[in-house]
Amino acid sequence: HASGGSERWDLSVTVEDLGPDAPPVTLSVTSDLHVGGVILRLVEKTQIKRDWSDHAIWWEQKQRWLLRTSWTLEKYGIHADARLLYMPQHKPLKLGLPNGITLRLHACFSSPVFQTLMGICRMLNIRHPEELSLLRPLEEKKKKKDKDSAEEIYDLTEVPRSSVSRPCLYNGMPAHFADSPKMEAIYKMLSVTQPPPAPEVVAKQYRPASVVDKAHINGRWLDSSRCLIQQGIRENDRLWLRFKYFAFYDIEPKYDVVRLTQLYEQARWSILLEDIDCTEEEMMLFGALQYHISKVSQSEDLSFVVKLKHVTICFRPKKLTLKGYKQYWFKFQDTSISYYKSKEESIGEPIQQINLRGCEVAPDVNMAAQKFLIRLLIPAPEGMNEVYLRCENEQQYAQWMAACRLASKGKSLADSSFQSEIKSIHSFLAMQRTNPSSHGNTPANDESINTHSLVSPRYHKKYKTKQLTPRILDAYQNVAQLSLTDALTRFLQIWQALPDFGLSYIVVRFKGSRKDEVLGIAPNRLIRIDLGVGDVVKTWRYNNMKQWNVNWDIRQMAIEFEGNVNIAFSCVTADCKIVHEFIGGYIFMSTRSREKSDTLNEELFHKLTGGHEAL
Amino acid sequence: MCVSPCKRICVSSFHAFPDMTCQLSRRPRPSNENSLPPRSTDHNKLIDTPQNLDSGQLETRESNSKSDLSAVSMSDICLLLQMDDIDAMFSDLLGEMDLLTQSLEQETAAPTSLPTTTTTTTNNNKEVNFSIFTDLNESLHELEDTDLDALMADLVADLNATEEKLAAEIQGLKVPSPPPPDLPPPPKGLSAHHPASPASPAGSTGSNVSTPASSSASSPLPPPPPQSTKPTKEEIEAQMKADKIKLALEKLKEAKVKKLVVKVLLNDGSSKTLMVDERQNVREVLDNLFEKTHCDCNVDWSLCETNPELQLERAFEDHENLVEPLLAWTRDSENKILFKERGEKYEVFKNPQTFYLWKKDNKALKAIKDKDKEILIKENFCGTSAIVPDLEAVLHLKEDGKKSWRQRLFQLRASGIYYVPKGKTKSSRDLVCFLQFDNVNVYYGKDFKGKYKAPTDFCFLLKHPQIQKDSQYIKYLCCDDACTMNLWVTGIRIAKYGASLYENFKTAEKRAAVSSVWTNRSAPSCSNPSTPSPTIKVSTTFVHFLFMMRYLLSSLSPQDVGGVPPPPPPPPPLPSTSTFPPSPPEPVFAPPPPPLAAKSSPKPAFPQQHPPPNFPLPPPPAMDFPPPPPLPPIADHSEAPPDFLPPPPPSFGSLSPLPPLPGKSLPPPPPPCFRRMDQSLPPPPPDPGFLPPPPPPPAPTAAPSAAVRPSGSVRKMPPPPPKRTTPTLPAGGGGGGGGEGGGGDFMSELMKAMQKKRSVP
Repeated sequence: HASGGSERWDLSVTVEDLGPDAPPVTLSVTSDLHVGGVILRLVEKTQIKRDWSDHAIWWEQKQRWLLRTSWTLEKYGIHADARLLYMPQHKPLKLGLPNGITLRLHACFSSPVFQTLMGICRMLNIRHPEELSLLRPLEEKKKKKDKDSAEEIYDLTEVPRSSVSRPCLYNGMPAHFADSPKMEAIYKMLSVTQPPPAPEVVAKQYRPASVVDKAHINGRWLDSSRCLIQQGIRENDRLWLRFKYFAFYDIEPKYDVVRLTQLYEQARWSILLEDIDCTEEEMMLFGALQYHISKVSQSEDLSFVVKLKHVTICFRPKKLTLKGYKQYWFKFQDTSISYYKSKEESIGEPIQQINLRGCEVAPDVNMAAQKFLIRLLIPAPEGMNEVYLRCENEQQYAQWMAACRLASKGKSLADSSFQSEIKSIHSFLAMQRTNPSSHGNTPANDESINTHSLVSPRYHKKYKTKQLTPRILDAYQNVAQLSLTDALTRFLQIWQALPDFGLSYIVVRFKGSRKDEVLGIAPNRLIRIDLGVGDVVKTWRYNNMKQWNVNWDIRQMAIEFEGNVNIAFSCVTADCKIVHEFIGGYIFMSTRSREKSDTLNEELFHKLTGGHEAL
Repeated sequence: MCVSPCKRICVSSFHAFPDMTCQLSRRPRPSNENSLPPRSTDHNKLIDTPQNLDSGQLETRESNSKSDLSAVSMSDICLLLQMDDIDAMFSDLLGEMDLLTQSLEQETAAPTSLPTTTTTTTNNNKEVNFSIFTDLNESLHELEDTDLDALMADLVADLNATEEKLAAEIQGLKVPSPPPPDLPPPPKGLSAHHPASPASPAGSTGSNVSTPASSSASSPLPPPPPQSTKPTKEEIEAQMKADKIKLALEKLKEAKVKKLVVKVLLNDGSSKTLMVDERQNVREVLDNLFEKTHCDCNVDWSLCETNPELQLERAFEDHENLVEPLLAWTRDSENKILFKERGEKYEVFKNPQTFYLWKKDNKALKAIKDKDKEILIKENFCGTSAIVPDLEAVLHLKEDGKKSWRQRLFQLRASGIYYVPKGKTKSSRDLVCFLQFDNVNVYYGKDFKGKYKAPTDFCFLLKHPQIQKDSQYIKYLCCDDACTMNLWVTGIRIAKYGASLYENFKTAEKRAAVSSVWTNRSAPSCSNPSTPSPTIKVSTTFVHFLFMMRYLLSSLSPQDVGGVPPPPPPPPPLPSTSTFPPSPPEPVFAPPPPPLAAKSSPKPAFPQQHPPPNFPLPPPPAMDFPPPPPLPPIADHSEAPPDFLPPPPPSFGSLSPLPPLPGKSLPPPPPPCFRRMDQSLPPPPPDPGFLPPPPPPPAPTAAPSAAVRPSGSVRKMPPPPPKRTTPTLPAGGGGGGGGEGGGGDFMSELMKAMQKKRSVP
């Protein structure tokens, strides 16, 4: 081919804005024409007046954007046979959030996914985008497709790109969310936790049954170094936005409302879908926290408005029964209960005074049998004394139960949480009262949360609602006083304290080994899991790592640790780029420091995760 | 995708985490520096400036009304109970008045005659009072002379402060009281009547504190009525009444602060007695003990609780409040509080690998670098929540009520201890919860092989702090070796206390660094000459105080609702401008430590800036980690013994100039052979709690009680241990009214003891 550059030839470019059926626009060009010149002539020829600033040329055969407008066609190596497409770089994308809601927004299809993600997070007001990534969703069954059309999609495509870069916040909310009530509603969806899902919804979701199942999910992460279109993502495709690196840096509830909420949602679903294992006790606590969080976030304004008047120290006449069905006159004072033979004698010395501080309070309630027992385990030098208080009715039970709980924590009835404690006990009783057959209804409605919504399906089978509710209530008393932020933080803390927290699994084949094994990638270490034994057989910590190499040809990773420890493996369930990116990403996360937390070192991230593209 | 010419690409070399080391090197934080005023080398100054005194024990106790000083004694603890309502307090005060006069009359009478006297003057609770006073005598006799002096100084300080405050408040009340109908009171009046004004110089007090405590006295003053508005008489009266009620409520609140006189056993068999109030945490108490014992203040020093009956021992965590766990002791308790070094207290921060990499072999653990240790600490303690080491071991569990032990595979998780049921997998969902940590503490068991036929002596147990006797609610676990035991006990502590442990460690480390500077700098100092008579001081102050209280209470009575408030109380018998005791400080009030800034503990400077990331390809084999810093606690620990030695007697005396017989009354300084624990070993076998060396050293007895109480007679009439749940007051009174009427006697007892002591030479 002649290279002179003066020779004219025909370049045809498809302009997306002319419609799918429009023929390509043909330009007569020379090889020394730069891309900017091509675009200029293209726009002139279409005779469409609009803002073309976001448009760029995509070279289909080479899967490459022609973003350097000063480069000549020759430099790019473009000839007459090139199939070029002139289209916007930002296109709508359906984005599934950790809370299960789908957004529609404009995402950049031309920059590396890492940058695309930064743009998305800026729009959604999520700090530290480096901790998140985009995941291809699981294939959904065909018959569910029609249901999809009915799914509510929150539309953010109207947000002008320019406003996203505006950093100013309006009432703690990015300015673009303040534009209309509709936008404000979207922000509320992002920043307020979702009500507990109906148990059927949880049961229908895909649940990984084994470590290998979990490993398959990790094969779906997008490559951060390449752009969306290069990875086969098209306009209006669906992707999931998820936290990928479990090293959450500098969470500040004041600025991280959306981040915290979405992180909680992801953690909650990982518990509900048994993506991460926990014990039964932990499950009950997670359930209790979910219950509390959903209550507090729904009535957040209320709980601060309802201020308690001074509570008088003495209760109205109570007739309570001790074990053995004896009636005494009970008085609640400070953190102690005193009991007397009768009301008349209550001016004198009580038969006994019991200080409830530090005691264990447990409910023993059966609504159907109208049994309202409070079980107290009171510590004494000799051991724990077990005492039952039998209340006559629900009202009395709620008051005394609330008082006992506060007293066990050393708080008196004058404490401001007394009324809310009573309220929550009532709503728990209400849960027991609700007919379990009606749990198909919307579970969000205040008093009628089905406790099955709060635990994984395993426990739907194991316990009936009636059995489950008191167990969650039991765990609930330790968290009922928490504020919304504290409850969210607590949930995340317990989640992070689980032994398997932060592990991303990949099925690999170690060099010299004939069987598949699982590599677990954690924020600080790699672990090797023997599928036969089902247990961790080896741990390598990153801080002992000297270097790692990727052989892109045979798709093998080799890692060298201090003390001449070398491991090598090929990846089975994920591309080795994904594994490479995981390890490099975690190294990157550990280099973050407070003084530089505002500026994301993109270059370093790509250096650590990019592989040969970064060269 | 581009086809790269490079077939095999080395992606990146691995650089250390420079930020990590930076962050760690920044501790101790400078934020607390202000709390430690610069130490003056001039010891005379200590007495002149109240600010210096203030930084000692005083600031934590402020003023307390006399009424809370009714005393109940446990073997080593005097429980100072609070009064709950005004009536009780008032009658108590009157009772105390009577008692005081009586006790002043019969100063020479034997203390044993007192109980009878007192029972006649108090109108109720005869039995209770009797036993309390018997006990009080015991505990007072137990106190060493120095302790008595120190205690006296404490009490006097309290009284003075209260008196001061009250006087100020009453004066303040008086100001707006008789307002001319249309002339609001001039604001000047406030300062004129202010007791804190230097117009009343020290008279017979003998106080050498010259600075008036204006700051403490002025704060509770009710604000003067606004001048612009002309309040009606009714409004003013209502306001006055409200103010008075508010004042009284404040007083009551203050009176509720619980205090204990605590005897702490030292390793050499001697003891120190200090007063601890419920707001003080263990860290503060340790700091007090550092001043008193002149030890090297290293991070291993701990306050431990022992229970001989259960054969257990536990080191309190530095952030815990001391009073609360002590209140759980029964009245006949043999429990002790020990002050000793425990290497395992902060072992996890010295050698985190032992706990977090316990699965690795010993060789690998020993080879670990300091940098890796710091990373481990950062990873596990500096995140959103502390990470609990994932322990798993076959432990022996004592079966309820039996002396048989059964093996189970246990796992430690943040949420509790679990075991793997027979025939089940180790999967989380199959685990059975053995115990959660909300309501239990973890204790080391001693000689369980003998007591419970345990397989080994490496036992720990978990129980509610209130449980003091053997019970099915105590869970006993036995490990195969000491290492496993420490692993588990520490793991449980991390699960229970989380990042607080690390905070505590950092504070302790800082304290140790400060003290090492101080010991290097300490120079011989002059002794303090002033020794006023605390006896007279107490009685007069006390009478004055009673007048004040009476006045205050009567002014609250319904009769004065519409009228002019009663006249001010009779002029105080003593000008009371000082908040501080006239007696020079006892060791507790020792000079404040030197400023942190001056500390010279070796802290290598780290690059604060993250070096520009530069990842050469291929990586250089040499790692460019910053040099590992020597861990300060370890450095301290391995320091030569001299640091540990107490200063020679002269400087000792300078710190506590009060005792008339310094040589005799001061407890002996810890001997140089003071046992030191190997930092990697569990608590050593000989324990003062179980084989306590009595104050006169050469008589080790088998009976623990005799050891602590030299006077054998005191055990003759142990008070029946009343159930905690039994009310001690017939009506109305809340918990803690049981000591009503006792306060006066505690004081007179104290005075008597002082007199006696003074007459000895």
